[in-house]
Amino acid sequence: MRRADLNDFSACIFEYFRRMQRSIEIMKSETTVGIPKGLLFSYYHIFAETLFDRLGFNVVISPDTNKDILEQGVKNCVDDACLPIKVFHGHVNWLKTRCDVILMPRFLSLEKGKKLCPMFCGLTEMVKNSITHLPSIIDTPVFSLRTKDMYIWSLKACGIFRQNRRDIDKAFSYALLRQKESSLGICDTGYPLRVALIGHAYIVHDAFVSMNVIRRLRAAGVGVVTAESVSENRISQESGRLFKPPFWYFAQAYFGAAVSLYRQGTVDGLIYLSSFSCGVDSVFAELIRLETEDLPFMVLKFDEHTGEAAVDTRIEAFADMLKRRVQYGHHFSAYGQRQPCGESVF
Amino acid sequence: MVITFPPMGNVSLAARAFFEAVQIPYVSPQKANKQMLQAGAALSPDEICLPFKVFMGSFADSIKAGADTVLLTGSCGPCRFGEYCELQPKLLKKNGFNAEMLVIDAPKAIGRKELCRRIRSILETSPVSGASKFKAFRQALHILSLADGLNEKAREAAGYEKNRGESKRLLEACFKQLDSVRLPDDMQAILLRYHEKIDFIRKDINKKPIRIALIGEIYSMIEPFANLFIEDLLMEYGIVSKRLITPSWWIKDLAEKPFGVHSAQIMKAAKPHLPYNAGGHAKESLGFAQLCKNDGFDGAIQIYPLGCMPEIVAKAVLPSVQKEHGFPVLTLIIDEMTGEAGYLTRIEAFIDMLAEKRKREARTA
Repeated sequence: MRRADLNDFSACIFEYFRRMQRSIEIMKSETTVGIPKGLLFSYYHIFAETLFDRLGFNVVISPDTNKDILEQGVKNCVDDACLPIKVFHGHVNWLKTRCDVILMPRFLSLEKGKKLCPMFCGLTEMVKNSITHLPSIIDTPVFSLRTKDMYIWSLKACGIFRQNRRDIDKAFSYALLRQKESSLGICDTGYPLRVALIGHAYIVHDAFVSMNVIRRLRAAGVGVVTAESVSENRISQESGRLFKPPFWYFAQAYFGAAVSLYRQGTVDGLIYLSSFSCGVDSVFAELIRLETEDLPFMVLKFDEHTGEAAVDTRIEAFADMLKRRVQYGHHFSAYGQRQPCGESVF
Repeated sequence: MVITFPPMGNVSLAARAFFEAVQIPYVSPQKANKQMLQAGAALSPDEICLPFKVFMGSFADSIKAGADTVLLTGSCGPCRFGEYCELQPKLLKKNGFNAEMLVIDAPKAIGRKELCRRIRSILETSPVSGASKFKAFRQALHILSLADGLNEKAREAAGYEKNRGESKRLLEACFKQLDSVRLPDDMQAILLRYHEKIDFIRKDINKKPIRIALIGEIYSMIEPFANLFIEDLLMEYGIVSKRLITPSWWIKDLAEKPFGVHSAQIMKAAKPHLPYNAGGHAKESLGFAQLCKNDGFDGAIQIYPLGCMPEIVAKAVLPSVQKEHGFPVLTLIIDEMTGEAGYLTRIEAFIDMLAEKRKREARTA
C-alpha cells in the first residue's frame, strides 16, 4: 500500500468518526429525557437532572403534583395501589407525550440487605401494563447508593445512547457533587413548639399529596423537624435496639429518626404521614407509637379522597393540644372521668 | 416450655405430628375462624394484613390455654411478613399476653450460628434421642406431603367423579379423623388409607370440567379459612382447581433456593412479565398463571389479603398474561370485613362466564 493511499484511508476513517460524533450530538440535542416528579424524585432529581443535562440531552420534568395529574394517575393505575404509586403513574402519563425516554430507576435496594417496598421492584412493569403508548423507559436497577455502584448505574443507564465513557465520567462526578451539596431535611427554629414530621419523603415533601401539612403547621405556630435532618449515626444507634434490623431502608431511617428525636426531647409531638394501605407504615407507625408512648402522636392518612378541611381540623386540634400541654402539663382526664386540670373552670 | 404455632392449614398438622413424636409439650392452635380473626383484629393495627390478625388471635387463644413460647418463621423481605416477629411480641406484651417469641429466620438475616442456637433451644427440651428427632422430622414432612397430595388429588377428582360430592365427602371425613388422633403413625395410616380411597373414586373420564388455577398470596393459599374455603366451593360446583403453593412446595422451594434452581419452570415463565423479584410470591403467581394458560386452563382466581404489596404488583402485571387469546382472571381480596354472599356471587358469575366462553368458542370452532 502506498503512502498516499494510507493517508486517504486515515482521512476516511477520521471523516467517519467525525460524522458519527456529529450525528450523536444531533441525536442528543433532539432527545428529551423525562423525569417523573413522583416517589423518590426528591432524593435523586438533582443527580439525574445534572447528569443528563451535562451529557447534552434535553431534560423535562413533570410539574408539581396537581389535581389533573392525580386524576390521570388514579385512572391509569391498578386500584389497590397506594396514593404515591398512583401519583407516579399520573406523572408518567403527563410525560409520555412530551419526551422520548422516561427515566424510572428501579430501586431494588439502597444498601446491602436494605430493600424498599415490593412495589418499587415491579414499578416498571406496573407502569408498562397500566399506561398505553409509552415511550422507551430507562429502568436500570439500583442496588446500592455507594459511589461505585452509582457509577456503574450511570454507565448502564447512559449506555443505551452509546455515550462516550469519558463524557459520562465527567458528568457523573459533577452530578454527584451537586447531589451531595443538597440536603432535604427541614429543621425549623424560632417556633415555640416543634413536631417531628415522619413519613415517606414522597408524602412529606410533596405539598399536594400531603395537603401542605408543613405550611399549615407553621401557620399554626408549630415548627417542623423531618427525619432527614437526623444524623445517620443516631438513626443506626436507635434502630439497633430493635429485635431484628429492619429490611426496609426507609422504615429503619424513620424509626431511628423518630425515636432519637423523642429521646433527645427536642420535639413536642410526632405526626406520622402515611398513605392508605401502605405496608411499611402499617408496621412502623405502630412500632414508633409503642416506642414513644408519652409523646403526643398522630397518624395522618392520605388517599385520593382525603378532604382538605379534615386535615385542617386535625392539625388545628393537634396544635391546640400541644399548646395546652405546655400550659397545663400532663393533666388529661382519662376517658369518662373528669379531672381538675390547672386552674379548673368547673 | 410449652410451644404454640400459628394455624397454617396442613402445616399445623405436620407440626402437631412432630411435637407429639419428640414429646415437647405444645398447644395446638384452633382451626382459624371468624372469632379468632376478630379477636386478633382488635389487638392489631388496623391496616396490617389478614395473616397478622389471624396469628394474633390464635396466639392470644393459645397463650390463654397455657402456651409460653410462640414459634414463628421469619423472612428478610421485602414483604411485611418478615416484620411480624418485630411487632407481634410487643403487641402481645402490651395486651398482657406474656410469651417468648422464637423466630426461625433466614440465615441471611440472623446468621447460621444464631439459627442453629434457636433450633437447638427448642429441641433440647425434648427427652428423645437425636436419631428419633430426625425420624420425627422426616415423618412430619411425609405427613405434610401426604396431606397436600390428598388435597391435590381430591381437587382434581372433583371434576370427574360420577357421584357428585364424593371426593369432597372423603376429604372432609379424612381431616375430621385426623383431628381426633394424636400419634403421627396414626395420622400417616389415615392419610394413606384415604389416598387409596380417592384413587378408587368412580370417574367419568369423558367429562370436560372447567379448570381453574388458584394463584395468590401464600397464606391465603395454604390456610382454607384465609380464602373462605374457595377450594371446597369449587369442588361443589364440579370444577377442577389447581394451586401451586402448598406447604410441601414451599419447603422444596426453600431447599432449592441456595442453589438457584427453585421452581425453574415457573421462574422462566414469569421472567418476561416480571424480571425482578418483587417479594412474596408475585413471581410465582405470574409464572403459574402463564403455565396454566399454556396448559389449557379456563381461567385463574387470584386471592390475597387487603394491602398485600407483592400481589398488588402481580395484579397490575397480570394483564400481560391475560392478553393474546384471553385468559380470564378474577381477583378476590380478603379482609375481616369480607362478606360471604358478595364473595360467592362473584365466584358464581365468574364460573358462569367461563362456561359461556367455552360454549361460544365451541360454536365458533
